[in-house]
Amino acid sequence: MIGEELTVEVVAGNADHDEPPRRTRAEVLERAVVAGGALLAGGVLITGLPRLATSAPSPKQDAEILNFALLIEQLQAAFYAESLTHGRLRGQLRQFAEVVEGHERAHRKFVESALGSNAHGPPRFRFGETTSDPAKFVAAAVALEDTALAAYNGQGPNLTAPTLGAAARIVSVEARHAAWARVLAGQTPAPVAVDQPAGEGQARAALKRSGLLGG
Amino acid sequence: MAEDRTLRPSPSPLWPGGPTFDEIDPSGAISEAADRIRSTTRGGLLKQAGAGATILLGLHTPAAGAAAPASQKRDRAILNYALLLEYLQASFYTEAERMRALKGALARQAQVVGAHERDHVRSLRAVLGGAAIGRPRFDYRGVTEDPSAFRDTAVAFEDLAVAAYKQQAPRVQSKRLLGALLSIHSVEARHAAWIRYLAGRLPAPDAFDEPMSQRRVVAIVDDTRFIVAPAKTSGKKRPRFTG
Repeated sequence: MIGEELTVEVVAGNADHDEPPRRTRAEVLERAVVAGGALLAGGVLITGLPRLATSAPSPKQDAEILNFALLIEQLQAAFYAESLTHGRLRGQLRQFAEVVEGHERAHRKFVESALGSNAHGPPRFRFGETTSDPAKFVAAAVALEDTALAAYNGQGPNLTAPTLGAAARIVSVEARHAAWARVLAGQTPAPVAVDQPAGEGQARAALKRSGLLGG
Repeated sequence: MAEDRTLRPSPSPLWPGGPTFDEIDPSGAISEAADRIRSTTRGGLLKQAGAGATILLGLHTPAAGAAAPASQKRDRAILNYALLLEYLQASFYTEAERMRALKGALARQAQVVGAHERDHVRSLRAVLGGAAIGRPRFDYRGVTEDPSAFRDTAVAFEDLAVAAYKQQAPRVQSKRLLGALLSIHSVEARHAAWIRYLAGRLPAPDAFDEPMSQRRVVAIVDDTRFIVAPAKTSGKKRPRFTG
C-alpha cells in the first residue's frame, strides 16, 4: 500500500469550495464504456472503489487491525487534549475540541479494553503548532478526521462481523467529526458522494504529510 | 426524556416483544429527530394508509424465487433496503430544491446532499440491475416547502440512514459490497453532522453511534406516511443511466 497516493480529496483538501463535479451525459456514458458498462452510475463508481488488500477475517487479524485503530484513537485523543491544554481555541473551535476530545478518549478506552493485554502503548506524538495555532489546528483536525474515517472504512472488510459491528459505531462518529471540522474550516462537509477508503500505508502517509505522525 | 418526545411506532405483528425504542436509541437523538418529522408533517393530510415501506420491501410475505444462494439473496435484500432509504432521501432533496423555499447555507446543503443521494440511488440501481425495486411515489406533506420543517426532516433522515447502514454492514457477505456500503455509511454521517450544525444542534452528539434494526427503521418510515404508493413497475425496464 505504501507508495500509492492517497487520492482522497478530503485529505488533500483541494475540493473545498468547488461545485461537485458535474459530468455530461456523454462523459458518463463514455466512462461507462471504459468501465465495462453496468458498474458506473451517475459518476459514482461504488464497485470501482480501490481494491485494498483484503484477507480472510480472523480474531488474530482483528487484533492487528485494532492496534492500528488504537494508534489513530491515541493520536486523536492526544491531539485534542494538547490543543485544549494550550488554551488558544475560542468559541465554536473550542466547543468542537472539547466535545471531540471526549469522544476520542472514549474510543481509545473502548479499543484498549477490546485488545486487553494485546494493546500497544502510544508512541510519542509531536504536534508542533497544530495544537497551539487555531488556523493550523482546524486544518489538522480536518486531515485527522478525514483520514481516521478513511482508515476505518479501509479495514472494515478485513474484520470479523462482531468487530466490524463495533468499529461501525465509531467510524460514523469520526465522519461526523470530519464534517464538523470542515464546517469550521469553511470547507464542504461532505465533499464526495462516496468516501474513499484508505489502506494502512495510505493512512499513515496522510498523517505524516499533515505533520501529525512521525517517521 | 419526556414520554411524548419519543416516537413510538404502532405495535407491529412483525416484531412482537422487540426492544423498546429507548433501548435502541438511548440518547434519544433519532427519536427526537423522527418526532420532529411528525410534528412538522401536516396532520390534515394524513389520510392515506401508510405502511408503504413494509409493502415495498416485501416484509409481509416470504420473498419469491429460491434460485439464488442465500448469501446473495440476503445481500440483494440489503441493497434494496438501502435503495429504498436513498429513494426517500433523494426525492426529498430534489423536491425541496424545486420548491425553492430554501436560502443560503440550507439551499447549498440541499443541493450538495441531494446530488449525493441521487448518486447513491443510481449506484445501487446499477449494482442491483433487474432486481432493483422501483421508486415509490412520495408525498412529503409540506416539509419540503418550509425551511425549518425541511431542516428537521433532513436531520431525521440522515441520522436514520446512518443507523440503518450501520446495522446492515456486518450482515453483508460480499466484501466488495461491504466496502461500498461503508463508504456510503460515512457519507450519510457527514450529511447528518452538516444538517445538525445548520439546525444549531451538536453535529456529533455521542461518542458512539448506535445501529437500528430494519424493522424499527421501516416502522419509523411508515409512520411518516411519506410513502404513498409503491412503484408501479419494478426497476427491470428502466435505463441504467439517466444522468
